[in-house]
Amino acid sequence: MENKRIMLLAETGVAVALSAVLGMVNLYRMPQGGSISLEMLPILILAVRWGGVPGMITGLVYGFVQLIIDAYVVHPVQFLLDYPAAYMLVGLAGFIRIKDIEDKKSSYVRIAGAVLLGGCGRFLAHLITGVIFFGSYAPEGQNPWIYSFIYNISYIIPSIIISYIIIIPLVKPLFKYK
Amino acid sequence: MLRNINIGQYIARDSIIHKLDARIKIIITILMITALFFIDSFKGYFLFLLAVLFIIYLSQISFMRIIRGLRPVLFLVLLTLILHIFFTRGGEVIWQWRFITIEKNGLITGLFMVSRILLLIMFTSLLTLTTSPLQLTDGIESLLRPLKRFGIPASELAMMMTIALRFIPTLLEEADKIMKAQMARGADFESGNIIRRSKNLIPLLVPLFISAFRRADDLALAMESRCYHGGEGRTKLHELKVKTQDFIALFISILFSILVSFF
Repeated sequence: MENKRIMLLAETGVAVALSAVLGMVNLYRMPQGGSISLEMLPILILAVRWGGVPGMITGLVYGFVQLIIDAYVVHPVQFLLDYPAAYMLVGLAGFIRIKDIEDKKSSYVRIAGAVLLGGCGRFLAHLITGVIFFGSYAPEGQNPWIYSFIYNISYIIPSIIISYIIIIPLVKPLFKYK
Repeated sequence: MLRNINIGQYIARDSIIHKLDARIKIIITILMITALFFIDSFKGYFLFLLAVLFIIYLSQISFMRIIRGLRPVLFLVLLTLILHIFFTRGGEVIWQWRFITIEKNGLITGLFMVSRILLLIMFTSLLTLTTSPLQLTDGIESLLRPLKRFGIPASELAMMMTIALRFIPTLLEEADKIMKAQMARGADFESGNIIRRSKNLIPLLVPLFISAFRRADDLALAMESRCYHGGEGRTKLHELKVKTQDFIALFISILFSILVSFF
């Protein structure tokens, strides 16, 4: 039992480091400032390997590490939502269980569901921050929900698609390696 | 032998600000950025700016370094300014050209919001510039400790953060090594559209992930054989200690944030 806990602790730490490394590589910089990167990937993999709660813990830790490494704080509530909360919700992916990795059809669909769930969780957190940001900085009379939705969806969807493309070849070797 | 990779923005100096307790610095930062939202005049912002400049002076960090930290938010700042200038109405008309009019209130609120964003970023970057990632981790752990009662494992979270911070340079180097090895075999990481490029990353990512999880395995084994058993009863080499100067700093910033909120 103890062994498993330490194993999880070490894996989470290393997965967070991987996320930070992948976060430094920008695949594509959006003109409006967001960027598409693979930082969700290690969190998703840990979530798929260990389940929802460990996945969420990994995301939470990554959020804190991001806060320490390079955070941009524009609002007292924004930094909690944008960093710890957003990545914690990526860990939701782990609540979709992949039973049999050899059964390609069902596991591909389940992995897609997991990636989508994690991505949507993160999207939700960023959506709310966007609304808070626009609500307190943008002129009145503009609908903050639409702005925030368009801005955030523009990089979340590509991130989800790319994470899915890459997670497929990664899941199998990592699943067996346990 | 190893390349010196700096993670985070920490700049080591021997200043009063650097020596303050990490927890106190986190609390002060949260206090000050909250106070910033209660300021509703340029006079208040000016006072705040003076305080920021004074702290920068005390911390011995070059002013240009702080300015450079503002670059990533440039787009945000410009967008906010432009939106306000063109969409916030009221006051006398300053400039008019066909259907575009700029009114006084727009310009003023725009500048007001921009000063707020810039001051926020300056103040928060002071925290990460003067406090090392490990000190910050210790600080966060200590601040989260009261939440243990609600089942939040503060010391385990801090341990994971420490492991992560320790492994970021290692994995960066590993990624670099694998990248070069795959490029020698003809891998191409730079051309093609975004889908093509992310597919091309697979030969880099599979070995990187496998080796990273293998490292985690070794680490867990090493921790277990050294009898790691979670946070209960663990001691530290460098305990965080709140000293007199920390109390003074906290006291001054509480006073300042109350004072400045009235402007």
